[in-house]
Amino acid sequence: MLDKTTIICRCEEISYEEIEEVIDQGARTFDDVKRLTRCGMGPCQAKICTNLVANIIHEQTGRPLHKIPLPRMRMPLSPIKLETLTTDSTSFSAVKSVLDEVELEDGKVR
Amino acid sequence: METSYETIVIGGGVVGNGIAYHLSERYKEGVLVLDKKYPMSGTSGSTQAWVWVHNKTPSWYAEFNMYSAELYPYLSKKIGDVEYKRTGGLSPFFNESDREKAKQLAESYRKIGIKIKVLSRDEVLKKEPSINPEVAGATYSSIDGNVNPFRLIDMYMRAAKKNSVHYSTYNKVTAIQKYEGKYIVVSDMETYVCKNLILAGGTWTRELGGMLGINIPVNQLRGQILVSEPLKPFLNYTISGLRQANNGEVLMGYSMEKAGFNRATTLDVIQETANMAVHYVPSLRKAKVVRAFSGIRAMPEDGFPILGKIPGFENLFVAATHSGVTLSPLIGTLMTELLVDGETSIPIDRYSISRFN
Ligand SMILES: Cc1cc2nc3c(=O)[nH]c(=O)nc-3n(C[C@H](O)[C@H](O)[C@H](O)COP(=O)(O)OP(=O)(O)OC[C@H]3O[C@@H](n4cnc5c(N)ncnc54)[C@H](O)[C@@H]3O)c2cc1C
Ligand code: FES
Repeated sequence: MLDKTTIICRCEEISYEEIEEVIDQGARTFDDVKRLTRCGMGPCQAKICTNLVANIIHEQTGRPLHKIPLPRMRMPLSPIKLETLTTDSTSFSAVKSVLDEVELEDGKVR
Repeated sequence: METSYETIVIGGGVVGNGIAYHLSERYKEGVLVLDKKYPMSGTSGSTQAWVWVHNKTPSWYAEFNMYSAELYPYLSKKIGDVEYKRTGGLSPFFNESDREKAKQLAESYRKIGIKIKVLSRDEVLKKEPSINPEVAGATYSSIDGNVNPFRLIDMYMRAAKKNSVHYSTYNKVTAIQKYEGKYIVVSDMETYVCKNLILAGGTWTRELGGMLGINIPVNQLRGQILVSEPLKPFLNYTISGLRQANNGEVLMGYSMEKAGFNRATTLDVIQETANMAVHYVPSLRKAKVVRAFSGIRAMPEDGFPILGKIPGFENLFVAATHSGVTLSPLIGTLMTELLVDGETSIPIDRYSISRFN
């Protein structure tokens, strides 16, 4: 049993007690806890705290560990420089500019 | 367990929770919010969360957004700190040819009392020194800002619970029936009965309408966002395309794709987003990206909110929209007026679902 003030997420300094509180509010998955407390949003991107949080959810709710979904893993799996992701392309298709979305009708804004 | 309610709100995102909280200010019991997961798991947890007015057209729609932005400072006073910051909003352009359009925009807004400035290159760089010096100009409005969407929902829920609103989460609605002037709401855990029913299921609202045989024309539009490591505060404004959050992270992205309900992040859009970000703010090149996420906007067929009563169904209401973060306090206020007083202080006829017939 962990002490209430034990830090579970070292990166974001989230304590056992804070996690317990949001589970009490209805959080049931790692992602719920993350959105409510920022636990898991630190530089290690939850590598350290995932299992600890899963265990607390298990303890508090009695839900079997294999039924507690893991956090959604997304690219990039470890931090990379933005310039590594850039390309030479100067055209945009999915990415928009808000001013482009302003529509003119007869030279006037609609 | 209580199963009979005056009002049930289906959906606990910024829209549903905004309504539930505002309702709870007017009547102290009989409100239930149902969510198939925990609120924030929908689109409200994967958003840029700009409280954004300027550049929205036509001007009557910008005006609607402005009223909501005006409510934010009061909302923070009532429910607690939601990290709302009225930073001012900057939309840079890189072609001199866009200046004419920017001026037209400013002119059409002037008539409704929203001040937009069209800035020269030097003015932009003075305001936001990190912007690419190749910038030609920008539109600027002081009304824009941003909020922390997680705090917003959490504070809404805490305030609503204090006012006796009930929540049932991880409880999906699977069927709705109309029976003797009441609605019967069947969910995974329970069957409820209510007088007023509000459909606020975000991008899933079409599905909810379908349960009653109503066509609510809401489609899906994916957006992808990149998040940087926390950087020391260096961006002064909410820039249309990126913003810096309170903890120093920069959220980059403004993309739209049709991908149904698929919440994947994809390399092509991530790359485009990276290109946009370094084009706007070159110093971001060296910043590290720690996360990418995507969210699915609820996009009504004609691009405007669907709000209000559903004709032919007494006491049935809908609130489905994009820009839900910006509009949440206003939608909450107006839907509450509609339910409690039968009319709204600002007309919402324009947003009625009946326009699609
Ligand atoms: C990438 C991106 C960027 C954005 N940027 C901005 C921005 O800068 N400013 C802005 O104002 N808006 C922005 N938006 C839009 C904004 O995030 C949304 O409009 C808003 O979050 C919608 O809130 P909502 O409550 O309608 O939907 P949601 O948050 O999706 O809530 C709907 C809820 O309904 C529940 N639900 C659905 N079906 C059922 C069912 N059958 N039973 C029970 N519950 C159900 C879901 O679980 C969900 O929690 C952005 C969106 C995206 C994707
Ligand atoms: S310990 Fe939780 S994010 Fe690093």
